[in-house]
Amino acid sequence: MICENYTNIRKILLFRPHDLRDIMSFHTHKTSIEEGDTLMLYLSPSSLLTITVNSLTKNKHGATVENILQTTQGALKVRNLIGQKYGSRIELSKGSAYALHPTPELWTVTLPHRTQIIYTPDISMILFQLELRPGCIVIESGTGSGSLSHALIRAIKPSGHLYTFDFHEHRASVARSEFQSHGVGDFVTVAHQDVCQNGFGSEVERKADAVFLDLPHPWEAVPHAVNAMKDSGGRLCSFSPCMEQVQRTCEKLRGLGFVEISTLEVLIKEYQVSARTMSVMDLDSINANDNGPNAVWKDPLKIVSCNAPLTLAGHTGYLTVATLPPLLSRVPIDSVNGTNQG
Amino acid sequence: MGRNPAAVVKGSPRKRTTSFDGSFIPVERFVPTCEIRLKWPIPVMLSIVVGKPVWTTYRMEQKKNGKRNYQLKECSIQDLKSDSITLSNPGALSSGTDNRNIVDDGSSQKLSMEEIVNLRDEGLSSKEIVGTLIENSKTFHNKTEYSQQKYLKKKEKKYFEYVTVRKPTVRLIAEIMFRLDQGKIMGLRVDTLSQINTAVNLHSHGKYIVYESGCQGLASASMLNGLSGEGRLVLVHSGNYPQKHALLALNLTEEQENCLISVNIYNLLRKLKGTCGSETQTASVDTTPVKEGVESSDVSFEKEVDSSEVSVKEALSPGQSLENVTDTSETDVKDQVITNSDQESTGSGKRKLSESGNDDGSAKKKSRWEVETDRAAGLLSSQKADGLVLVCREHPSSILNALLPLVAPSRNFVVYNQCREPLLDLFTELMKNPNVINVRLTDTWLRYYQVESNRTHPLVNMTGSGGYLLTGVVVDSGEK
Ligand SMILES: C[S@@+](CC[C@H](N)C(=O)[O-])C[C@H]1O[C@@H](n2cnc3c(N)ncnc32)[C@H](O)[C@@H]1O
Repeated sequence: MICENYTNIRKILLFRPHDLRDIMSFHTHKTSIEEGDTLMLYLSPSSLLTITVNSLTKNKHGATVENILQTTQGALKVRNLIGQKYGSRIELSKGSAYALHPTPELWTVTLPHRTQIIYTPDISMILFQLELRPGCIVIESGTGSGSLSHALIRAIKPSGHLYTFDFHEHRASVARSEFQSHGVGDFVTVAHQDVCQNGFGSEVERKADAVFLDLPHPWEAVPHAVNAMKDSGGRLCSFSPCMEQVQRTCEKLRGLGFVEISTLEVLIKEYQVSARTMSVMDLDSINANDNGPNAVWKDPLKIVSCNAPLTLAGHTGYLTVATLPPLLSRVPIDSVNGTNQG
Repeated sequence: MGRNPAAVVKGSPRKRTTSFDGSFIPVERFVPTCEIRLKWPIPVMLSIVVGKPVWTTYRMEQKKNGKRNYQLKECSIQDLKSDSITLSNPGALSSGTDNRNIVDDGSSQKLSMEEIVNLRDEGLSSKEIVGTLIENSKTFHNKTEYSQQKYLKKKEKKYFEYVTVRKPTVRLIAEIMFRLDQGKIMGLRVDTLSQINTAVNLHSHGKYIVYESGCQGLASASMLNGLSGEGRLVLVHSGNYPQKHALLALNLTEEQENCLISVNIYNLLRKLKGTCGSETQTASVDTTPVKEGVESSDVSFEKEVDSSEVSVKEALSPGQSLENVTDTSETDVKDQVITNSDQESTGSGKRKLSESGNDDGSAKKKSRWEVETDRAAGLLSSQKADGLVLVCREHPSSILNALLPLVAPSRNFVVYNQCREPLLDLFTELMKNPNVINVRLTDTWLRYYQVESNRTHPLVNMTGSGGYLLTGVVVDSGEK
């Protein structure tokens, strides 16, 4: 018995040296940094890095060497992070940085892009519109780069579950191992599956409180979403960059008895705040005998200015949200009028 | 039967819940006859909905005796389908191709309003009435099919009221509140509300502080909704009671109630300093009704009613002191800042509040306060909070300065304000604070669309602002 346990642990230690220790990082907060943690290194408002605390790394010749990270504030010996407190200042050779707890929001801005991703302003609205809370069962497709997934998991854990689907095998498996190493693997099931063709599978049939779609042909997945939703109904949200996708999706939703169908768009604007001093010309003291363009100045004025950015994302995608009423109150129009199920 | 978990939603049978026509009605305190607000407040007998499943739809029928007195009649799906002329009869009517032959001289409908209302009171179904309307419309058959449908929907809405009882959710509550009177929730729009929970990194098991005044408990409700039994939300307020409008509407479970600890800000800070009565701050005790317990609380409500005008000015003046904040605390509940005409509803708001004060205002109330304060102080002194949210009418600076030390490093804080200016002040201050990083000032823009084949466009009306957020991260720089 003891032996068996021991071998198991050794196996894990051998192959995944960090799983045991960093297991909680996206799930709960901890005080001090340990080997294997995933953390966000904050260098400046525009410079953030996600790093995994590995003291050692392999160099290009395959030899094991000390892990040293080059940042805009100078070199960081990763080993030196261990034992430091989260939120504390890390001195670097040319400045300093802060070691921050990983959050879905920081992950979204630092993650490696394997696809287009959804950003926090839309993500917030999606969580809100799907009415997610701890305990909810939620379905997502496609998984993509997992930007949204991390936020979905945070909203429904510990008692809820995310089922996320992608028909791209590599993306599905990378996402799966990211969830594991971020300590949230228990709250999510990643499936490699074409949801337009094959739906969401029997495991989630009539189980979901909410379904989220980020697919090129979301309308093809909508009938499957109906099958996946609880008899008591639920919420659906589809994210599409193009209006044509929205139109076809809305048509399908109406046909299948969804109500409260609504399409909306959210954009964020971040202001540049700066304290400025403005010079003030003195035009009161001009008199007839002056000659020459001698500027006379009053005391400068201090103001705080607040400017919208020169350029910003003017479009991300349309969010189409809808409610599926409980089974007993559903009126699918397709069946009423005998129009095509398409 | 006490509080009822119902949110009543009005809409036509076709679009049972048209979220964006301003027709949601919250029913928080359930009484047999309840005024529900459609276009105007209408007394309706609601007892019939007790024991019926949510999502049941009712037709509002005028009672034979009273003119504006309605009762509800449950509708089956079959009823709804046959009631609805747009649902059961699409495209079966002759129509024109454009509006070249339509002259609107105000006489296109031959029936008068009165005649139509009489038809309805005689008990004709909506289908029959709309049919009569079409017969008596000179222009209907010349209208395009699209405008025919629009006409029918409009008539259906005008002469038939349906309500659907829904389970309250934060989304519905937030939409209702924003639509009914956004002044009462400081213009906190759903998109901004949704950003708050992500910006503060709301985990179900986390421990969060929210300071709320002037948004009817909406921000707290939205945060509490995201917590599981292990999570804690310390709701800090500056009056006798926190504003719980939205929290009550959410029909909290016992588990959720246990996550919520409400505490007066002065009591909390005093307790945490461990210096009850010896700090300079306690100068404000005289004007803080809380300290005195129940006896004085009613009095102080009266006082605040009278002094509300003054207090508002004080709240807006830059050099405000802590005492002034206290004075305005209850005023904030009634939105003196926003209101310019709505005296009457303001008055009733006040009455309600002091009534609810009386409800639980027995002798044990005082100890409950102390228990809650102890609980909050114990929780926050044993371990710092995982996040802080401020949604307040007062200037946020002093409140943030007081509460930020209670937040653990590497955790986020969020400050909401309807105006940008106080957040600019805060931004400049925080730039000098070595223990705060990643300060950002943002707002979000929200636009809704009408999506119909060949008639897709953004909705004509939108809201100009959903408020502003300042967000940041607490760190430990080693400096003070
Ligand atoms: C834009 S990405 C999703 C990004 C994701 N929402 C995020 O925030 O990281 C779309 C994903 O959908 C997947 N996908 C497309 N069609 C699919 C289908 N029929 N079934 C399953 N996945 C599909 C693609 O492989 C791609 O990874």
